[in-house]
Amino acid sequence: MIELDDVWKVYAVDGGAAGNGAGVAVEALRGVTLRIETGELVAIMGASGSGKSTLLNVLGCLDRPTRGTYRLDGVDVGRLGADARAELRAAKLGFVFQSFNLLARTTALENVELPLLYGHVPPAEHRTRARAALAAVGIATLADRLPNQLSGGQQQRVAIARALVNRPRLVLADEPTGNLDTATSREIMRVFRALHAEGLTIVIVTHERMVARDAERVVLMRDGVVIDDGPPARVLGGSPAAGPPA
Amino acid sequence: MTVLTAWRALGRNPTRSVLTMLGVVIGVGAVIAMVSVGQGADASVQAQIASMGTNVVMVVPGATTAGGVRSGWGGVSTLTVGDAKAIERECPSVAAVTWIRREVAQVTHGNLNWATAIQGSPPSFGRVRDWPVGSGRFFTQSEEDSAAKVAVLGRTLVDQLFPSGQDPIGATIRIKNVPFLVIGVLSPRGQTGWGQDQDDIVLVPFSTAERRVLGTGILGTVNMIFVSAVSPAAIESAEEEIRKVVSARHRTPPGEDPDFTVRSMAEMYETSLAASRIMSRLLAAIASISLLVGGIGIMNILLVSVTERTREIGIRLAVGAKARHILLQFLVESLVLSTVGGVVGTALGVGAAVLIGRLAEWPILVSPVAVGIALAFAAAVGLVFGAYPARRAASLDPIVALRHE
Repeated sequence: MIELDDVWKVYAVDGGAAGNGAGVAVEALRGVTLRIETGELVAIMGASGSGKSTLLNVLGCLDRPTRGTYRLDGVDVGRLGADARAELRAAKLGFVFQSFNLLARTTALENVELPLLYGHVPPAEHRTRARAALAAVGIATLADRLPNQLSGGQQQRVAIARALVNRPRLVLADEPTGNLDTATSREIMRVFRALHAEGLTIVIVTHERMVARDAERVVLMRDGVVIDDGPPARVLGGSPAAGPPA
Repeated sequence: MTVLTAWRALGRNPTRSVLTMLGVVIGVGAVIAMVSVGQGADASVQAQIASMGTNVVMVVPGATTAGGVRSGWGGVSTLTVGDAKAIERECPSVAAVTWIRREVAQVTHGNLNWATAIQGSPPSFGRVRDWPVGSGRFFTQSEEDSAAKVAVLGRTLVDQLFPSGQDPIGATIRIKNVPFLVIGVLSPRGQTGWGQDQDDIVLVPFSTAERRVLGTGILGTVNMIFVSAVSPAAIESAEEEIRKVVSARHRTPPGEDPDFTVRSMAEMYETSLAASRIMSRLLAAIASISLLVGGIGIMNILLVSVTERTREIGIRLAVGAKARHILLQFLVESLVLSTVGGVVGTALGVGAAVLIGRLAEWPILVSPVAVGIALAFAAAVGLVFGAYPARRAASLDPIVALRHE
């Protein structure tokens, strides 16, 4: 489903405070080649600056590769304009963020409905779809709560429901447990595993080994390249307490 | 749908939304109130002009030159009763003609006296000037023919000479020491547009004035001829015919200025219209400025709002919103702010106008056109000043927006 071939992402950064215009090129991705099949649960791991967030932005069609090709369901994303990528996000992708990113003073139900505003689902179905998505993550009873009336774990479930409401082909999660305690993190990972069991393709960016262990495949990145790719037991080794490999 | 979303977004910060609207509210309100008061005043001035008779044409003696000294308009009475009768006879667009001779003199009744305009005119005066008597009667043709000593008083004169409320009809007054029988009182007419009291007058038959009161050396001359046209539309042709007839009678050589002038109320009407047009333009200018200020207020708050809601914009973009969805959202918010402000402002403006009308006892005229224009202007302000913040919001990069703290 996902085909990345020799993908590079180069940012032009300003020449610093001197403002001499001499830009410095930062190579966030330096030739990433990756295949992800439908129904996989993949964790992308790496230290900060390893390029994993950039990779997620590319996978999420928020950003285009500078070089190389990215095909999503056979569509070359690099050739698409902003509107076409927005269309793709509305139709095929769901996002979950570290900081939940729910709209304040907006009920859980309305937050979940948000992606439907920009898709092709008829308005009459919005309510039922949103309720179904909330039920799928186990918080149907909290539909009318506002974000500030919800715990962190509950807020992240609302965010996952929002990612599911347009029935995406792929859910991308950027450090989904980063703002949660250990027990809640386990809860959220159980939700992801349950969705995976139903056949959903999920890519999670994380630097927590505990989270990565729940995936069925781990992609390890460093300095903009993939340095290892395989089942968690092999890639992460046997020491669950240790941080990401240096 | 979008309007509902905008309404909710504005509802999340009600205090700020209301304060933002205030600029437009005050702008629209002030304009509506001012226009209502202005148009009310305008309408009453025009009603007064109309009360003088819009299809009346006046013929005034012109300037003459005698030995190098030029008199002003009406300096010498070159018009005669003969001219007036010729107009009545020869001009097809003319319905009726009357003429006056006027002089200020002392009028006495008992021990009271008052200086007023003594006006001699034929019985047709009341009809041509559309000025009926309030009580009693007007003098007749036979009284005119016999130069009867009868008088019809204006309301002001009645108040001055009969202060105790006594009925003046049947009383005897003296004009320049000549006794006159009061036979009628004119209905009150109020002031002219330029503040002259039209009711400070006494009317006597033209022949009586000529022979017994004003004592002029030149019989048959008049101060002014009033002509009523057959219809308001016939005024221009009536003026033309009058010019022709009187010029011929006065033997005005072709190409030279005639020794008389023809004027109509229509000209005066147009002058007042021109004045009110200037007034409207002035109001429009003030309106534009106040709405401009309101618009800048909206733009200001929306720019703050875009910065504050950068993350929200990022989320919306991430879940599939296109740039134009974001553009539309902010534009609609701006429109909702400005039109709601416009509606509230209209309500307040109308309220203020009515209140001013009550307190100051001014005539008020709330014009639906002015309300429509003010509302349309308010909406336009929302669109124009919402455009910049909306474009800024729509041009955000989703990645940057999502990372915004």
